[in-house]
Amino acid sequence: MSSFPRLARTGHTSHCKICLSGLPFSQVEVDSSRIALILYCFGTLDLLGTLSTKTSETDRQKWRDWLWEQQTSGKHGTGFKPSAYMTPQGGNDEYGDYDAPHLIMTYAALLSLAILRDDCSKLNRTGIVQLIRACQHEDGSFSALPDGGEADLRSVYCAFALSSMLDDWSGIDIDRAVAYIQRCSSYEGGYGQIPYNEALGGTTYCALAALHLAPGTTLSSPETRITPAERARTIRWLTQNQTSCGGFCGRTGKLADACYCFWCGASLSILGAGELVDSTALALWMAQCQYKFGGIAKAPSERPDPYHTYLSLAALALHPPSEGASSWELFPFNMFWNTTEETAQWVRDHVPAHKA
Amino acid sequence: MSATFDDSDESKPYATDPEWADVIPVQQYEGVEPIAPIFYTEEYKDATDYFRGVVKTGEMSPRVLKLTEEIIHMNPAHYSAWQYRYRTLLALNSSLEAELELMDSFAIQFLKTYQVWHHRRLLLTALRSVDAAARELAFVARALRTDAKNYHTWSYRQWILAHFNDEDRLWPGELPWVEELLEEDVRNNSAWHHRFFVVWQSGVRRGEVDREDVLRRELAFTKEKISLAPNNPSAWNYLRGVLDHTHTPYASLTSFVQPYTVAAAPGPTDDSVVDLENPRPSAGAELPCVPALEFLADIYEAEGGEATPKAVQIWKSLADERDTIRKKYWEHRIKDALHGSQ
Repeated sequence: MSSFPRLARTGHTSHCKICLSGLPFSQVEVDSSRIALILYCFGTLDLLGTLSTKTSETDRQKWRDWLWEQQTSGKHGTGFKPSAYMTPQGGNDEYGDYDAPHLIMTYAALLSLAILRDDCSKLNRTGIVQLIRACQHEDGSFSALPDGGEADLRSVYCAFALSSMLDDWSGIDIDRAVAYIQRCSSYEGGYGQIPYNEALGGTTYCALAALHLAPGTTLSSPETRITPAERARTIRWLTQNQTSCGGFCGRTGKLADACYCFWCGASLSILGAGELVDSTALALWMAQCQYKFGGIAKAPSERPDPYHTYLSLAALALHPPSEGASSWELFPFNMFWNTTEETAQWVRDHVPAHKA
Repeated sequence: MSATFDDSDESKPYATDPEWADVIPVQQYEGVEPIAPIFYTEEYKDATDYFRGVVKTGEMSPRVLKLTEEIIHMNPAHYSAWQYRYRTLLALNSSLEAELELMDSFAIQFLKTYQVWHHRRLLLTALRSVDAAARELAFVARALRTDAKNYHTWSYRQWILAHFNDEDRLWPGELPWVEELLEEDVRNNSAWHHRFFVVWQSGVRRGEVDREDVLRRELAFTKEKISLAPNNPSAWNYLRGVLDHTHTPYASLTSFVQPYTVAAAPGPTDDSVVDLENPRPSAGAELPCVPALEFLADIYEAEGGEATPKAVQIWKSLADERDTIRKKYWEHRIKDALHGSQ
């Protein structure tokens, strides 16, 4: 079909490069999760294959240096801060109570460094395992900060992803964490952010990826953590979220949003049902979410941002349209770590302690 | 009157304010060239320099409350300022009820910021007061009037109720309130979800000991809502949830579902036989409806044997005609039923 729209690859690369160079004050809320935004920018370039062609080695070295500056150690172990927004001038040897490392940012930093092909020789692995341990609570959940902060499935996922990247699970009480995840399961088939919450696309991905990442214990294995009936119910709910416009919504009855195309689509892939996505309808809808000056927005005629740009591309990498030209071709994708397969391989080769 | 933030323009930079002359501001460290730097305003830089200065000395005082209030007003996601503010409130023995009130309008302004809700959780946890919890439930109801499906707001309500699960007086209002919300918008999935939480996930309350009775009540309620809007997936999902939770076979609802799976009968329906157990689709409903067809196919599939082809026929019609966006899903159901992969 010759009228199939194109993926505006150049525009999406530019959008992310502009964000990497700086953000207006109206975006100040990004400061306390800045590495996440950075990961979405790098991830976009990684998926499009433009990191080596559209950025210079000088830039990439500066980026690595800045990321390493966010690694910080102290009484709860080691991790990464979202940015230097609370770091006092002159730096500090150890973090205090108010500039502690953040679990989700540590996950984002590690993937960012892998995308930049850093050899990870500066990584304090035992420190990160200690941080993971410090973030787990009695009920099995994890908070993003060692000293409290909201505890929910997002942090649980990051703890699991980090442990699997490090190939070291000694920081997690897996059985208790698995029980917590199961308590977040909702009657609709998805998982809520904390127990008793409404089923939501993003946290459903977190739950399913975590359940599959964790190695088996005496109490459960990746194969038995979800029963066949639960699996069928989750697949039903996930496919129900693909709306007639082609995009996915994150909750029953809501409007489609580009980010849920990834969260729901990848969830289906994890359950071995990725082929149930109508990928052509998905791509046609994504094409409408593209902003005329680059970037992908959460819905048609909205403003783009790196989060929706990256997750849209990730969804397309997992569920490429069966028609359409080469503009839609993206790199193979690792659905569990949410990164390209090449970057995942780099992680396997450089992050575990036994590879150091 | 609820307290609001002080928006007056008279505030001068901390750097020139004699009241802050004793604090040494600490600038933000930027060793190497930052990635994606935020272009801070002078006002924000000034305030956060003094905040880092305060954190360094560990000062916890009323003026720190003012400073953190100003910072979170400029950046509600500044979790360090929230953390510090919370600990300062405790250190000063400040009224936490007053803090909750102070944060009311702020929360509604920044409904989508995690920290706003986390702060309230911390306050309520520290207060251990059922009165405060009741007040929070009323506040949440108000906040939902601004955005009836806000995830954080709902999450907070469910957390409050679960946290105070044994406090019977917090609970009786939940069902009538959910019903009001569903009156306003029968497609509000958050309200349906909340109903499930209240009825099935939070223990058995007074007057609900007879679970058979509760099941009958819930089925009647849901069927009536389905009859008003047959194509509402939230109601059907709730129905399935209730049946799964109570291990009730879907087949027990065959006679209810059937009228929703066929095209509307032309002309007036036979109103002389009103079956209260099985309300019929409202006039003008778009029929047959997809969730009903799916439900009936599930009944046939569970029955198996000679009923299987009937399920397959329904799935085919869904795949090819009525729900083509999920064509692959319906074909997967056909394959599963015929080859029994599960």
